[in-house]
Amino acid sequence: MKTAQVIYEDGSHKWHAIVRDPNRQDYLIDTNEYLIVAGDDAILLDPGGSEIFPAVFSALSTCFDPRKVSKLFASHQDPDIISSLSMWLEFNPEAKCYVSWLWTSFVPHFGGDKDTFVPIPDGGMDIIVGSQRLQAIPAHYLHSSGNFHLYDPKAKILFSGDIGTALLPPGENSLFVENFDSHIRHVETFHRRWMGSERAKRDWCTRVSQLDIDMLCPQHGSIYKGADVKRFIDWFAHLEVGVLKS
Amino acid sequence: MKSARGAGGELRRIVRINEEIKSVVATAFKINLMAMNAIFLAKRAGQTALGFGVLSNELRRFATDLQQQMVVLREMTYGSVATVTGLLKQTQINRVIDRARKEASAEGRKLIDEILLKRHAEAMLRHEEQIAALNRRLTQMIADTAQLVELGSVLARSAKIEAAYGGGFSSSLMQVSSDFERTIGEIQRSLENLTKHQVQESAA
Repeated sequence: MKTAQVIYEDGSHKWHAIVRDPNRQDYLIDTNEYLIVAGDDAILLDPGGSEIFPAVFSALSTCFDPRKVSKLFASHQDPDIISSLSMWLEFNPEAKCYVSWLWTSFVPHFGGDKDTFVPIPDGGMDIIVGSQRLQAIPAHYLHSSGNFHLYDPKAKILFSGDIGTALLPPGENSLFVENFDSHIRHVETFHRRWMGSERAKRDWCTRVSQLDIDMLCPQHGSIYKGADVKRFIDWFAHLEVGVLKS
Repeated sequence: MKSARGAGGELRRIVRINEEIKSVVATAFKINLMAMNAIFLAKRAGQTALGFGVLSNELRRFATDLQQQMVVLREMTYGSVATVTGLLKQTQINRVIDRARKEASAEGRKLIDEILLKRHAEAMLRHEEQIAALNRRLTQMIADTAQLVELGSVLARSAKIEAAYGGGFSSSLMQVSSDFERTIGEIQRSLENLTKHQVQESAA
């Protein structure tokens, strides 16, 4: 099963990274889920696909009561992001799912009803979890046309969805980026192909450069921290994206 | 409790039933047209084909009743698709939750046992009861239709007898009534197939 690792802690304010399932079938892409706990409340970021629900549930239940996960954040509409929605709603039918307004009539195919979804407007919004105010940051067209990241200004952590993703080869699965130069080789092809818009990329780089970020947490691969965060943003700003070539 | 495979089989069975219904509807439409032609033929034959004309009218009414019966039957199969889809979805959720239970720590397992297992067992039972009720209605409907088609078969046979008294039109009337008999025979075979699919369900 996956394990839940604390990557930030300040009193009852915590970030757990739910990562690395050794039993994962290799036909399924590996994903990272993040749980932000604030007191008795919690939000689960990109809860994952239904096939990996057992692994995520098992890891999460070791550190938090699944019934108290009151919010789910879906960076976009893909099945590896949110197809487990109906399972999470089994544990808390009142839970709200925050997703781009663009997808609020698509994601219900995975579960939920008209009361489940909180549409995020294109400009983003604040999401309150316990005593923490989090910010949904626009990342449209990177890669989905309705796409958001989540910033925690107190923890200085940006959940960056598919941006920063590394498709790591077997054996290279460290939680944090250890060697940026060798790591970035596993990042480049994915970003060239999956990130569809130069303009959107530039806008995003400008936007997040203004945030104070200690950790950049992607949905796949390793977490960037410290100086690697800025290195990654600069690298990404100069990468040609939206092109069909290796 | 039905497995996903069982529910999937149920869906395939409904598709087969629907295909048989389509074939009966097409044949009933054919009988309707044939009956109209027979009515015109009987009118042309005049006094010698009065009985044949009456039977042709009855056969036309039979074809209309059969079409209506098939519409109801088709609506029932669509209803079954919705119920079976619900069962399939429930089965899939149960499968994932069962896996979660196996992987979870003691606390997670306890939570699943407390909250979910009972609820899902009840939901599965509800779905299965709905499917059983639908199947009972479907079986009854097929039996009613078989009875109606038996009446159609009697009418076709009687038309054949009446055709013998059709004077100069006898051979044309005989040809038409033989067509009726053959076409109703096709419907009977389709109904036998429908009944077979139902029986397979009861045995499953």
